[in-house]
Amino acid sequence: MTRREFLLEMDEILGFTPGTLQGHEKLEELEHWDSTSLITFIALADECSGASVSPAQIVNCTTVSDLLGLARVAA
Amino acid sequence: MTREADTLNAVRTPGFSISVGDLLRNARKLKQELVKQSNLLSIRVAILGGSTTTQVKTMLELFLLGQGIRPSFYESGFNRYSEDVLFKNPDLWNFQPDIVFIHTTWQNVLQWPELLEAENNIEGRVRQEMARFESLWEKIHAQLGALIIQNNFDLPRLRPLGNLEASEAYGRINFLMRLNAEFGKYARDHSRFFINDIHYLSAQIGLTEWLGNSYWYNFHMALSPSATMVLTRNITGIIKSIYGKSKKCLVLDLDNTLWGGVIGDDGLQNIVLGRDHPVGEAFQDFQRYVKQLQRRGIILAVCSKNDADNAKEGFSHRDSILKLEDFSVFKANWDPKPENLRATAAELNIGLDSMVFVDDNPAERALVSAELPEIAVPDVGSDVSTFAEILEREGYFEVHKIVQDDLSRAEYYNSNAQRKTSESNFRDYGEFLASLEMCAEIASFTTVYLDRITQLINKTNQFNLTTRRYTSAEIEAIAQDSSFISLYGRLSDRFGDNGLVSVLIGEVQGDTVRLDAWLMSCRVLKREMEFSMFDTLVEQCQARGIRRITGIYIPSKKNVLVAGHYASLGFRHIEQNSQGHDLWCYDVPDTYLLRSRHIRRSEELVGTASAEGAVVPSGL
Repeated sequence: MTRREFLLEMDEILGFTPGTLQGHEKLEELEHWDSTSLITFIALADECSGASVSPAQIVNCTTVSDLLGLARVAA
Repeated sequence: MTREADTLNAVRTPGFSISVGDLLRNARKLKQELVKQSNLLSIRVAILGGSTTTQVKTMLELFLLGQGIRPSFYESGFNRYSEDVLFKNPDLWNFQPDIVFIHTTWQNVLQWPELLEAENNIEGRVRQEMARFESLWEKIHAQLGALIIQNNFDLPRLRPLGNLEASEAYGRINFLMRLNAEFGKYARDHSRFFINDIHYLSAQIGLTEWLGNSYWYNFHMALSPSATMVLTRNITGIIKSIYGKSKKCLVLDLDNTLWGGVIGDDGLQNIVLGRDHPVGEAFQDFQRYVKQLQRRGIILAVCSKNDADNAKEGFSHRDSILKLEDFSVFKANWDPKPENLRATAAELNIGLDSMVFVDDNPAERALVSAELPEIAVPDVGSDVSTFAEILEREGYFEVHKIVQDDLSRAEYYNSNAQRKTSESNFRDYGEFLASLEMCAEIASFTTVYLDRITQLINKTNQFNLTTRRYTSAEIEAIAQDSSFISLYGRLSDRFGDNGLVSVLIGEVQGDTVRLDAWLMSCRVLKREMEFSMFDTLVEQCQARGIRRITGIYIPSKKNVLVAGHYASLGFRHIEQNSQGHDLWCYDVPDTYLLRSRHIRRSEELVGTASAEGAVVPSGL
């Protein structure tokens, strides 16, 4: 999955219009970044790139790009 | 089938396998699809969490929508379950929930026993924990009037005391089990309080899968994502049963479903059933499970491709737990099964969506699913040892209360067969009705029947003028409010007691009573019970100086049966409003001719009035 495709998936998870997220956005400023979207992100990472992301790793993420890094999506 | 369609099916079918990822990734699309359903029942649910609950809300919303229930939510702040109630959070009070779900787990226990602490001290801790929770529950009941769904306690994954955790009074597991027993006792004593049994659910999937330590430490989610799905499906089952959406009838195939082998070919002596054979024991245990469902009110029917005499003979097997008389409808013939299932629903006067069909044959399951999608057809496979577990897991028959009428349901349906036989011996229908020697008890709501009244209101779809649903709290309030006329009706005849079968609720405003609910069990259709209810209503109106009765017919997919009900009673059609609801009006006459000709009401038995064609003057 490309970075762009992953961002589109994240748009869907967070309820944004496709193409909204660019990667630099801070997680704490995203209205719908909550326990539901967190679980969904973990499932997405597992499905799309086989990455096993733990909640503990997500705690250390600040931006959407950090999440993409955890999901092993190429920059 | 596409993956999206699979996901939609999974949300609608309890127990259908689905991953958390698929569910949540498609959540928005699923919701958009599910809200398009007609006749969704709207409810307000407050989730008061001892941990993070957003993911609980998301999943619960999808599963409820899958069952035709559209929730709106209030969510407490993290671990504010207690403060929101005790300090009357205005947002919660303004929300006016129908249901409060308290999502607490073992992490929310405050009074843990100390090592080697004296038994009486520990008992004091149990009482303190109970007092803490009871103060919440009582405030919710008294001030919010909402139903409560409360988790009992799951168990911690670690046991520092080893097996002593279970046996010693100061062990945490022992302590939690005592609390669970107290929670259960509270539920038994309070009809508007329901336990969400997470102690069982966590055992079912295993504590390792149930608790997600990393989720707890990092985000304070008490349960893993997959456990949250199990939790929310279970709550959906409870809410479904509260609003009368559980299944009523289990239809069973016979050969290789209730016994091993083909009775028509193998003969009675050679079917596999009983403890002499490992698979026979599994068939017997499945029969035992089915018998337990039947005993608590689930209607049983047979739908089998078989010669009828051969099929019936199977139940005379010495190891058969089920007997022929346990089945209210028995269809063993060579007709297509969908045809037999339609006929079964018609005979029982229930909707197809009230039925679950179990058959070991995948081709028959596929045929029924395709032709009658309303019927639940679980994929039971062909291994009888898993049949009961699959039915159980799917929660089709979830029940939140068992009342006496449930226990006598099978008896009713069996005596109904005698009624139908009797019917054919009469020249006309009136003569048949007279022969039934029917007697009705019609009176104002009384405490002893409130559970059954609520159950009937929330499960009746066909003879139901408004399909308005009421909570137990609302029914209790109506029963005590003199500005309502609230009537229940019981009907018995020479074949047996039909139980409490009709409910009518009207709100009095000046000299008018507005009928908000009028419904009747389809058990007693065409028996004139609705006339008897109306006779009593008119008498009560006369006694209270009420001059006008207004009624409304709110059409639904299922209640076309009563579209002409008010017209048949002599109501005047006033208008059809912009929502397509028909408004009707009846002027209470000074003298009134009783409508019911074949039912004696219990007060008439003691001579206060005569039954047939009696004229009741105003002011009695």
